[in-house]
Amino acid sequence: MIRGVSERVDSVHKTAQDLLRAVSGGLLVGLPLLFTMEMWFHSFLLPSWKIVLLLGVSFIVVIGYSAVSGFRRERSWTELLVDSMETMGIAIVVAAGAMLLLGRIGPEIGLRDAVGKVALEAIPVAFGVSLAGSQLAARGDDGNDQGMVGDEGGPGTLGRLVVAAGGSLLFALNVAPTEEPVLLGVEAEWWLLLLVVGVSLATTFAIVFYADFRGGRTLEQRNGPLSHPLSETVAAYAISLLVSLLLLWSFGRTDGVSASAIAGQVIMLGVLASFGAAAGRLLVGGSADSGGKE
Amino acid sequence: MRQNWLEWFALAVSVLAVVGVVGFLVVDGLRDEGQPPTPIVEVRYPEAYSTDHGWIVPATVTNDGDRAGEALVIRATATVNGEEEESELTVDYLPARTAVEVSIGFSAEPDGEVTVQVVGFRLP
Repeated sequence: MIRGVSERVDSVHKTAQDLLRAVSGGLLVGLPLLFTMEMWFHSFLLPSWKIVLLLGVSFIVVIGYSAVSGFRRERSWTELLVDSMETMGIAIVVAAGAMLLLGRIGPEIGLRDAVGKVALEAIPVAFGVSLAGSQLAARGDDGNDQGMVGDEGGPGTLGRLVVAAGGSLLFALNVAPTEEPVLLGVEAEWWLLLLVVGVSLATTFAIVFYADFRGGRTLEQRNGPLSHPLSETVAAYAISLLVSLLLLWSFGRTDGVSASAIAGQVIMLGVLASFGAAAGRLLVGGSADSGGKE
Repeated sequence: MRQNWLEWFALAVSVLAVVGVVGFLVVDGLRDEGQPPTPIVEVRYPEAYSTDHGWIVPATVTNDGDRAGEALVIRATATVNGEEEESELTVDYLPARTAVEVSIGFSAEPDGEVTVQVVGFRLP
C-alpha cells in the first residue's frame, strides 16, 4: 500500500469503478422486478408503514450479508452501517432512475405513489448492489481487499443462516408480488404440498452438500447442533418458509385467507425461497471449522 | 475510510436518498388515518369535443381517501336529445390522493349536465 502523488486520481478512478459495479449489480438483480407490474401497483396498494418495514428488513439483510461476506473484512460496526446505508442509497437512486426511464414515475404521478414505487423497487436493487460489492469485484485490485470469504475460513453457522435468509428473500421476492403463489397454494392438495416440502428439503440438501458446486460442502462437517448438514438444511428451510410468510403477508396475500390456504402459499413460495437459501449458502461457502472444500 | 470527493459525494447522495424516501413514507404513514377510498369525479365540460361517433367529455377521478381502490366502476348518465343515456367505464386502480384521467362518451352533446355515480370498487 504505497500512496504516491497520483494516488488521489487513482483512488477517484477506483471509486468510480466501484460505483459502476454497484449500479450494474443492482440492475442485474433488480431488472426482473423493475419490469413487474405488480411491484408498481403495490406501491400504492400497500400502506406506507409496510413499505418502511420491508425496507428495514432489507437493510438488515444487507448489513448481515456485508458482515458475513464483506469485501473489507476489517471494518468496524460504524463502517459496516455506513456502507450498508450507502448500498440502500445507491439502490434508491438506481430504482428512481429506472422508474423514470420506464415512464412509471413522472410529473403526472402522485408523490406518494412515486416514492412508494422507488422504495419497493429499491429492495431487489439493493441486494444486487450488495452482491456486486462482495462478489463481482476483480480480485486483488485494492490493497484493502481481503479476497473472498472462504480464503480464510468462511462464515460460521449463524452467518450462513443469515445469508440463507438473504438468498431466500432475494429469490422469493421475484415471485411474491405476483398472483402465482396464491393460485398454486390455493389449488394444491395436502399430499401435493407434503411432496413439495419433501422435494424442497431433498433438493436443497443435495445442492449444498452433495452436488459438488463451488462453495458447496461435504457431509462430514459438524461443529455444534446447527452445523450438521441435516439440521442446517431443516433450519434453512424453516427460515425460507418464514421469509415466504413475511413476503406474502407484506403483499396482502394473507388478509382474510384461511390458514390452510396460507400454508399452501407459503410452501409453494418456499420452493423458491429454499433454493435462494441454498444458492446464498453456496455463494459464501465456507464452514465453521475449515475453509470450504477447495 | 472515505478517501476522495467521489466517495463523499456518493455517500451524501445515498444518505439524502434514504432519509428522503424513508422520511416521506414515515410522515405519510403517520398522517394516514385509514380513510376508505373516496372517489371524486370532476367532469371537465370546457374540454369536451365531438367526433364522428359521438361526444366525448374528459373527466378527472381523484381519491381523497387514504386507501386505494381497485376495479372502480363509474356510471355516467345524461339526457341526449330527450332520451336518457348511460355510459360506463372502469378504472383499474385508483391510488390514494392521485388523479386518474378518463373520458366519458355519449352519442351526442347532452341537453344538461352529466350525472356521475360510483357503482363500486374493490378494496386491495
